[in-house]
Amino acid sequence: MALDLQMPVLVVDDYKTMIRIIRNLLKQLGFEDIDDAADGTEALEKMKQRKYGLVISDWNMEPMTGYELLKQVRADASLSKTPFIMVTAESKTENVIAAKKAGVNNYIVKPFNAQTLKGKIEAVFAD
Amino acid sequence: MATMTRENVVRVIEFLEQNRDRGGDVGLSDVMQLAEVMTGSLHEFLHAVQPAVTGELKAIAIEITRMKEEIVSLRANDMKSQRIPEAGRELDAIVESTESATHTIMTAAEEIMGADTSDAAAYQDLVNTKMIEIFEACAFQDITGQRISKVVSTLNYIDQRVTNFVEKLRIIENMEPELEETDEERRKRELILHGPQMAGEGVSQSDIDAMLGDSQDDIDKLFA
Repeated sequence: MALDLQMPVLVVDDYKTMIRIIRNLLKQLGFEDIDDAADGTEALEKMKQRKYGLVISDWNMEPMTGYELLKQVRADASLSKTPFIMVTAESKTENVIAAKKAGVNNYIVKPFNAQTLKGKIEAVFAD
Repeated sequence: MATMTRENVVRVIEFLEQNRDRGGDVGLSDVMQLAEVMTGSLHEFLHAVQPAVTGELKAIAIEITRMKEEIVSLRANDMKSQRIPEAGRELDAIVESTESATHTIMTAAEEIMGADTSDAAAYQDLVNTKMIEIFEACAFQDITGQRISKVVSTLNYIDQRVTNFVEKLRIIENMEPELEETDEERRKRELILHGPQMAGEGVSQSDIDAMLGDSQDDIDKLFA
């Protein structure tokens, strides 16, 4: 799958400032079509209405966490191929392993910088 | 333990022997007489155990008084009505001021990023103005630092008093009842919600990268 800067990207985080940070970083990287959602439930609804080229999601959200969102996305045949990057402060080994088992494409631990985000997005589309 | 005296036992036996052949012909005076004999026995028994019981009750009263004094010194009302709410207000103020500062800084940065660069002089003016706004917004750190110090002081105050209370009451760990898992705790456990880790506790980005590069077999071995 090639990296297409025109593809719509969905940023999922319950913290508006973090959405703003990721949105600005994505703009700097050249992405133009950026949407956002405040938790997994809202993200899933948006994903069923629109095909996103990439999802960048936080883990710890209410009522649906990013981990639950990831599992639901992978369980839905129409969404299961969507590249999914977890961006989270959850940095325990069991979190990373659980995310990998659930089918995450990459995992970024907060706080992160633009270079890390860029590198992980490129890695996902290089696979 | 005190027992009936020989004299009382003899009196009870004599009474029973005298009335053995009377069948059901027992009058109120007989019953009263038996009661008198038995009461006499109990009186001596109670007289013997009273000092021990009184001593125990006194010890319990002293312990209750001591516990009441410890509870008073805990200053629970002060904690509940003053210190904990005040700490909560300080934390709310910290969240508000950091949000406000972050908003100011990000807005300034976004305006710089989106500015027209064709007029170099105007662009420089804009950058200078926005940089000053960013510096001003960073003053939040000094104020939040002071607020955090107040919250830490409150936590230390509570910690000191609760620790003293536990020590004085001689509460030992294995006396504490097992707490039932709350719905919130269950959700955190099931959804692996730990929150941010302290420095050195979580895995680093490079560790994560290495783990994601591992095969599933390697990951499964971590659980073995």
